Amino acid sequence: MRQQGRNVGAWLVICFLLLPITVVFPISVTDRDYLSLPVSGVSLRWYANLFTRPEWISSIGQSLVIAVCSMVIAVGVGTLCAIGCWRRGSRVSEAIRVLMLVPLIVPTIVYALGLYRLWVRLDLLDTYTGIVIAHAVTAVPYVIIIVSTGLAGFDVRLEQAARNLGADLRQTLWLVLVPSLVPALVSSAIFAFIHSWDEAVIVLFIAGRGLFTLPRRMWDGINDKLDPTMAAVAAVLITVTAVLLLVDLVLKRRQV
Amino acid sequence: MGLAAPQAAMAPGLLSAAGRERLAFMLLVAPALLFAGAFYFLPIAQVLWISVSEPRPGLGNYAQLFTSTSIARVLATTARICAITTAITLVCSYAVAYALTHARPTIRRLLTIGVLLPLWVSVLVRAFAWMALLRREGLVNTALLASGLIDHPLGLIWNEFGVVLGMVHYMLPYGILPMAVQMRQIDPALAAASRGLGAGAFETFWRVFLPLSLPGLIGAGVLVFIFSLGFYVTPVLLGGGRTIMVAEYISVQIMDLLRWGTGTMLATTLILAILVALGLLSRVVDLRQLFGAR
Amino acid sequence: MQEFAEDAAVILAERGRGLSRRRLLAAATALGIAPSLAARAAVPDVVLCNWGGDAIKAMTDAFVVPYEKATGGKMVIDGSGPANGKLRAMVEAKHVIWDMCDSGVAGIGELGPLGLLEPIDYSIVDRSHILPEFGYKYGVVNYMFSSVLAWDTTQVKTTLSPADFFDLKKFPGKRMIRKDSQGMLELALLADGVAIDKLYPLDQERALKKIASIKDELLYWTTGAQSQDLLRSGEAVMGWLWHTRANLLKQDTKGRIDWSFKGGLIQPGLWTVPKGNPAGKQAMVAIATLQAVPGQITLLGAMGNGPANPLASSSVPADLMSVDPGSPANLAVQARISAPWYEANYGASLKAFLDMVSS
Repeated sequence: MRQQGRNVGAWLVICFLLLPITVVFPISVTDRDYLSLPVSGVSLRWYANLFTRPEWISSIGQSLVIAVCSMVIAVGVGTLCAIGCWRRGSRVSEAIRVLMLVPLIVPTIVYALGLYRLWVRLDLLDTYTGIVIAHAVTAVPYVIIIVSTGLAGFDVRLEQAARNLGADLRQTLWLVLVPSLVPALVSSAIFAFIHSWDEAVIVLFIAGRGLFTLPRRMWDGINDKLDPTMAAVAAVLITVTAVLLLVDLVLKRRQV
Repeated sequence: MGLAAPQAAMAPGLLSAAGRERLAFMLLVAPALLFAGAFYFLPIAQVLWISVSEPRPGLGNYAQLFTSTSIARVLATTARICAITTAITLVCSYAVAYALTHARPTIRRLLTIGVLLPLWVSVLVRAFAWMALLRREGLVNTALLASGLIDHPLGLIWNEFGVVLGMVHYMLPYGILPMAVQMRQIDPALAAASRGLGAGAFETFWRVFLPLSLPGLIGAGVLVFIFSLGFYVTPVLLGGGRTIMVAEYISVQIMDLLRWGTGTMLATTLILAILVALGLLSRVVDLRQLFGAR
Repeated sequence: MQEFAEDAAVILAERGRGLSRRRLLAAATALGIAPSLAARAAVPDVVLCNWGGDAIKAMTDAFVVPYEKATGGKMVIDGSGPANGKLRAMVEAKHVIWDMCDSGVAGIGELGPLGLLEPIDYSIVDRSHILPEFGYKYGVVNYMFSSVLAWDTTQVKTTLSPADFFDLKKFPGKRMIRKDSQGMLELALLADGVAIDKLYPLDQERALKKIASIKDELLYWTTGAQSQDLLRSGEAVMGWLWHTRANLLKQDTKGRIDWSFKGGLIQPGLWTVPKGNPAGKQAMVAIATLQAVPGQITLLGAMGNGPANPLASSSVPADLMSVDPGSPANLAVQARISAPWYEANYGASLKAFLDMVSS
């Protein structure tokens, strides 16, 4: 009884989280040609748009590649840094950890300005490399905060035991520390991915005619009318993810 | 550390144990420092330098912090809305993270799905979803009117209520996941011991669980607050244009008015203010202890 | 030899589109092709930057096609939007990728004094093909548009006069205006009774006070899409927006949203050329080419933007005349914007406006 009562608050929050999602589906089948609820009927042309028009498919592809690459870099670099600061525990390491939060504090447009100048000199404008680096470096703060939080509860004795048994630093990290950090790593990977997937300000500044990520395509007609295809994109992603996670849930239940 | 010493004595090398520790530390943080140093701090330093070089060399731009009422108002609005958003987000996130930690595996997975799915909805689509829901003739008002709970449509959007609602919604996963990650590591035996010693459910929570979950709470709080400072799209679209926060203000200075001195000055001020705040936080709460550093 | 040279010239012309002029001429000389043939093949591409969306197709039909036919050169449209900040970053980094930008009065006001734009070459661009007051040092008019009053006829049952915008008793409900001082200050003053030829210098305080008087009922839009959305969904009862949007709304809603040029402000869109643009003088040639009447009439039909060329008024089809902001009838009831005032005052006026919004 108490168990269920304890969860009521949580379920209310989850309902709140899912509320706009439920609206995304009707919006994605609107009969008008701008983001809106359907007025006099439904239309599947936005889904047709998504699956047949090369622009949207290529945008999704570009965004995917960039997001995955920047996620890997950010999680790798950020995790090592968080672990290093955690192990050290000195004033210097605390300062470093705080310093690495600066990319989260500075408004993106200011960074985009500086990045633009540097990329002109390095000839990285409108390139995959250029965007991946920018997204990775601005995602590092997420990783640092979450992995630090995850390290907070790590039982130090486990590491000491490993060292006593003869493991060197690399083995300790890889076989003892990292496995216990899996939830933190997964969370920070998700945030790093979404950060790049949704990032528009830097892309709008740095991209030329070559790079057309998904956010850029969504913001493209902002002065004009917002293409409901973006709602179809969200609907498809939500459905695919939900199905995958539910299948995973059912499979795990079967095992147990 | 003491346990590691005999090992060091058994393996003589060029470095002492302390030296090897320092090397390990430097190797671990070097990638981040080099990467961020070259591709972030270098370009950002050049840009922020504009705050003291344009339109005239000196601290003239910074003087605006004290003389300009509009800047003061924008900063106050930003601080207020971000603080409210963070507070509400932390409370709601705690409830979900707590449930995630203590629920049966199936429920836990369902909750996780609920937390992760909204991340796929881009900020533009979310804003329009909220508009469809909260407008005068939107779904929420229609439902409330139909059920007789209200007589006139509520003003749920085009004001600060709408802005905070939209921001909290966006932030919830960023509050929930760090908290849940840390809560998982709290030894359930501690709570059981507390109950065993006769403490009630609330007392156990208040005096055992809550203090232990503090690192997650603070980590999530820092993330959510700082993240919300940079919010631009949600306040503009859901606030009816009235809630001007610092990210929008800076963007107008940089992109429209070409007042790069003012824009970069505000960005620098934000950095310094947050760093100072984090410094103060580390005085009040021993962050090293909190984050479990040795 | 002749045939081969001509063939080579043709190939160069096709392939040479992306090459720099110098490299192209060098290749041509190496091939032994007559300089004149090579020169014709070496017309650099012109990149036109506008705000994207439907404007891309509209300007392709109205501008790109006639330009390519007339000069044999190539024109490309970049819809990323020539924001002042991006332009300044480009010019200062010496990496300009646009040749002509669809800008406006605020643009030349901010960018001109900083030396970020090329002066318009009026020996190539024809001053007689424009209304003289809209040919500035750093920008020349490309089309005309207006800020106008629009209203929801289902919520506003009687005819509306500009002053009624501020009458909350007679017409309760939310209003919407642009989140910018340009156009909004003028419309406020005109609604307050100022004569259309006595607007400038703007009495900024009076305008802001008037707007502030209905502040609680005001919503602010930043994008064209937003302005259409607020009126169409019934959130706003009336509003000030661009006439092109108002026109689209009226068509979309089959007349439920109505609008009028009365008490409006006509403004020029301006071609600007960033300093150091890649195509050089060809940008001026392009601007001159786009002064032709047929293209401007096409644009009027596609987007509702009024022709900049006064010679066009005789060619405007009857059904489009009511929508053309520059037609004599519509011009008579509107005020005209003053670019010099904006060059001197835009920054301060925007700041004061945003202050009023947020207080």
